[in-house]
Amino acid sequence: MGKRSMIGDWQLAIGTQMNRGVHRFALLVACATFFLIIAGALVTSHDAGLATADWPLTEGRFLPKVESLGIKTGVNMVGNLFWEHGHRMVATTVGILTIGLVVFLSLKEKRTWVRRLGWLALGGVIAQGLLGGLTVKLMLPLAVSTAHATLAQLFFCTTVSLAVFTSASWIESRPAIEEQGSLAVRYVCVAAAATIFLQLVIGATLRHSATWDQPLPTDLLLTHIGGAVAVTILLGSAAFMILRRHSTEPFLARPAKVACSLLVLQLCLGVAAYLTRVASPNDPQPLKPMVVITVAHVACGALVFATTIVLTLRAFKVLRSPESLSVRVQAV
Amino acid sequence: MFKQMKVWLVLTTIFSLAALVSSCGNKTATDTNTPGPDNATAGETYKITGNEGTVTGVVAFNGTPPAPKKIDASADPVCGQQNPNLSTEDTVVKDGKLANAFVYIKDGTTADGKKITALNFATPTDEVTLNQKGCHYVPHVLGVQTNQKLKIVNSDPTQHNIHPTPKVNQEWNQTQPNGAAPIEKSFARAEILIPVKCNQHPWMKSYIGVLKHPFFAVSAEDGSFTIKGVPPGSYTVVAWREGGASGTEKTMQVTVAAKGSAKADFAFGEAASASTRPSLEMMPALDVPMIGRH
Repeated sequence: MGKRSMIGDWQLAIGTQMNRGVHRFALLVACATFFLIIAGALVTSHDAGLATADWPLTEGRFLPKVESLGIKTGVNMVGNLFWEHGHRMVATTVGILTIGLVVFLSLKEKRTWVRRLGWLALGGVIAQGLLGGLTVKLMLPLAVSTAHATLAQLFFCTTVSLAVFTSASWIESRPAIEEQGSLAVRYVCVAAAATIFLQLVIGATLRHSATWDQPLPTDLLLTHIGGAVAVTILLGSAAFMILRRHSTEPFLARPAKVACSLLVLQLCLGVAAYLTRVASPNDPQPLKPMVVITVAHVACGALVFATTIVLTLRAFKVLRSPESLSVRVQAV
Repeated sequence: MFKQMKVWLVLTTIFSLAALVSSCGNKTATDTNTPGPDNATAGETYKITGNEGTVTGVVAFNGTPPAPKKIDASADPVCGQQNPNLSTEDTVVKDGKLANAFVYIKDGTTADGKKITALNFATPTDEVTLNQKGCHYVPHVLGVQTNQKLKIVNSDPTQHNIHPTPKVNQEWNQTQPNGAAPIEKSFARAEILIPVKCNQHPWMKSYIGVLKHPFFAVSAEDGSFTIKGVPPGSYTVVAWREGGASGTEKTMQVTVAAKGSAKADFAFGEAASASTRPSLEMMPALDVPMIGRH
């Protein structure tokens, strides 16, 4: 980026006209990605990742068998093939949507760095597809499956960030707000986002360490619980500082409140997921309560991460240290 | 107040990083539970002398066995039609006798002082069949010798996939559509026991015991078993049954006389003998009371 800082680039964006179509399409991609995360979590909870050894097609086919629509030779979507092939179909849709978003951004978006972020998203979704294929071909090695689950969260955050950067609330001119106190909220937000990411990596490792019919590894489970404590402290601190110092600024207060609410929900889902998952080795098959709650825990984790990213981006957009503000006033 | 917050910030970041590092570095060694040295080609080949005896016995189950759990096969309508009464087969008990226990000679010495695990035995030419019928594996537990042919048949009008998850043998995962030709496989190394699952129908489970020698049997519905052709000698006999993370074993010492029959009766369940041990190191779960489960 050379001498121009990211913040400087954002400020240049002020005055950029918001394109409603681009923003709506970016939102659509983010929502589709969230649905894809749910579809992927369903595959893991049902232990359906190896329902077929074939990839990228399923037994040489892509379209599902729907006799009522005249498709009689497609994939028979029964048993765990429904979850695995369904996940592949949703993933393909997200890949196509991401290509569409890149084209849309190339045509309509004036900010170079936003267009580049679109290309990064496209690279992410391609890498994610290859990791998915690799984990099937190598029969779900822990490292590759965990990398697949982790990259899914990073890709989701990229699509959410694109939706943020193309929104009216981001593009419209906003006065800078002075950071109060000696500890900058922005850095607490960054620490919270980084800790949540680590927690997602630990959670993905835990989920892929044992299938539903095996007990969870105790060391990873305790690490995940420790991570939850760390996330609660950091995200709670960030939200508390924002609500205490900038409660009249909805641009910051709203995502802080949403992040806090999602965190409480996520902690409850975590306890429920543990209770159902620890009993699942005694079940004859993955039962609905365990599947629904663990998948909800994964999905809510993605939302907590995405909301924290939004909060962090917004904090960096409007909050400035007193020193940098005074330098700017002098310059003016 | 901000100083305190800074301390919290630093502490929690250090804590989470340390926790992550510890989780990555603390890998538990896996007990492969492989009986004796396998695939030994340098050992002496055993020759039948005509003095071989048998090990016979009954596997009992003390106390009330857990009731079989009903399987919801609605994910594949064909399974529901083929086998409307699908249920778990991990503890099949009839009149206090346990079926599907895998009994085998783990170790010991023949009467002429040779280690049984160091001897080589000819690979049987007949194949062992694992059938997928009514969306469950038949038989539920089976044994093969190393390199013996295992024929996998799909008798169901739906697709299955066969996925053994061994620790020391080669893992594989293969789809078998309805009407497809049988799949033929073998295992090169001894391993007790290899879980087999179908990733399309997650309730489908089977276990394959692979041994270098032919001295194994699976208990029948009445709990009885017979291991034939055992060279005279003193042996450690093990009975393995499904349950928990990797099953449970019981051991017993027997002496087989020339052309004789040694008795080895085992008992699982409540008040079973003290020689019980989990066959693999199990990861303990946190002791939290279960709510609403039965």
